[in-house]
Amino acid sequence: MLVIESLSRRFGEKKAVNDVSLSVAPGGFVGVIGRSGAGKSTLLRMINRLQEPSGGRILYEGRDITALRGQALRDWRADCAMIFQQFNLVGRLDVLTNVLMGRLNKTSAAQSLLRLWSPEDRAMALSALEQFDIGNLAAQRAESLSGGQQQRVAICRALVQEPKLILADEPIASLDPRNTKIVMDALRRINRHFGITVLCNLHSLDLARSYCDRLVGMAAGRVVFDDVPEKLTEHVARELYGLEAGEVMESGDHAVSAGLKPAPVAA
Amino acid sequence: MSGLRGDAATDFGALRKRYPSVFAPQIVQRWPILAVGLLMALLFVYGLWRLEFSFMRMWTGLAQLGRFATLMLPPIAQSWPQALTFARALAETVSIALLGTLMAALLAFPMGFLAARNATINRVVQFMSRRFLDTIRGVDTLIWALIWVNVVGLGPFAGVLAIMTADAGAFGKLFSETIEAADRKPVDGVVASGGSRLQAIRFGLLPQVLPVMLGQVLYFFESNTRSATIIGIVGAGGIGLHLSEQIRTLEWQGVSLIVLMILAAVALIDVVSGQLRFAIIGERSRNA
Repeated sequence: MLVIESLSRRFGEKKAVNDVSLSVAPGGFVGVIGRSGAGKSTLLRMINRLQEPSGGRILYEGRDITALRGQALRDWRADCAMIFQQFNLVGRLDVLTNVLMGRLNKTSAAQSLLRLWSPEDRAMALSALEQFDIGNLAAQRAESLSGGQQQRVAICRALVQEPKLILADEPIASLDPRNTKIVMDALRRINRHFGITVLCNLHSLDLARSYCDRLVGMAAGRVVFDDVPEKLTEHVARELYGLEAGEVMESGDHAVSAGLKPAPVAA
Repeated sequence: MSGLRGDAATDFGALRKRYPSVFAPQIVQRWPILAVGLLMALLFVYGLWRLEFSFMRMWTGLAQLGRFATLMLPPIAQSWPQALTFARALAETVSIALLGTLMAALLAFPMGFLAARNATINRVVQFMSRRFLDTIRGVDTLIWALIWVNVVGLGPFAGVLAIMTADAGAFGKLFSETIEAADRKPVDGVVASGGSRLQAIRFGLLPQVLPVMLGQVLYFFESNTRSATIIGIVGAGGIGLHLSEQIRTLEWQGVSLIVLMILAAVALIDVVSGQLRFAIIGERSRNA
């Protein structure tokens, strides 16, 4: 259970995240929605401690995450894998090494610097790559891959961390509609097959509605909606997105007409 | 066992079979790197043996060094006028370095673009300018100083010319490599909106490479202040002449004073150029 207690983050005068309280039960697929600048990214980055909170606390299974330092902090970061909008792979390294970077936290410094990964770790990395149909790319340089393939590599890197939680920060914002579906399906598969909790920032309402089982709407740093997707009425959407509301929903309609709507899952 | 670890464990044998190269022993995967490393180590040991590298001689020499150090204390000049002469000569050295570095940079600036694959006119021009830069770089500053002293006579002018010629070659190479490493995308942006090749270089490449080039020039200015002392010894002006004179007349206190003065000048340049570089890079990130 992840519990966030009145978390805030200030950048100068601006309050990016303002007194946010949430609790996330294990196994869920939670979408964090809202317009750009609503504080979604900052919230996710604070959970991974890439960004320090200005106030408030984050608790995981009763442990205070905001107080962690050194090895304990690195262990926590391994527990809550991060997926980025720009993939954040090392372009000049091969795909397999990029995925194996997810094992760094569990590998000794000497072994990792010499790239002496254990056979078990290699098998895990390859197994992850195969599960997302990119096993054949293991030896290629990451920078030679397409955006959709790179994001799948990043998901594999997250997966070999054996995380309890996956934080995906706008994972599909730089992808085309087909790759959007592939990546979102991959996240759903992780959630269902491995039982890993997913917290996903999304811009598109339609995607959020079809993939998430709970939506958290943010506006100007505050949580203004927190419920199942069915409860997200047009009225709430307008409050969340203001004038952009038509835009995000329209783009959602386009996505649907392009065959984006995922088939009903019988998991 | 569950999750990905479980998947990997149940599939372990099959994965091994499907990706034999990934599971091959490290020695098989990395033999080229290991071979090169071994070769380098052998070459290193051979070099030590061939050049009669001896720790014994270093150890006995160390005592000699200690004796010199005591002779150097305290670092003072014999008289005030002499101290003033040293200071003037140091100023001359710094100005030789500054002028030489600036002129070298100005000369190398167009050469760098001509020698860069992504900014040159054509392959022939690129090849010719590369070889030209190689040639002038092949001759060291000290040799250039000796040449220029014979051409224009003794004095700081020969020193400036020596630094200019030697470093134009070095700058040309560094600049062209910087230009080649620059990002292509801004250039594409300019070309795509109908810009000429020259405009693409001016607006797509130059803003990227200029701060790096300035950093290189500042470093060379600092480094040349040290080089300028050496070329002074061959008569190309500056404090080097006084340094060699003090060594020849065994005035060790004067030697240590000069060395400390050079050290102070270099440290000062380092501080100032650090500030300048930071200002330039800061400016760039603000504009970006």
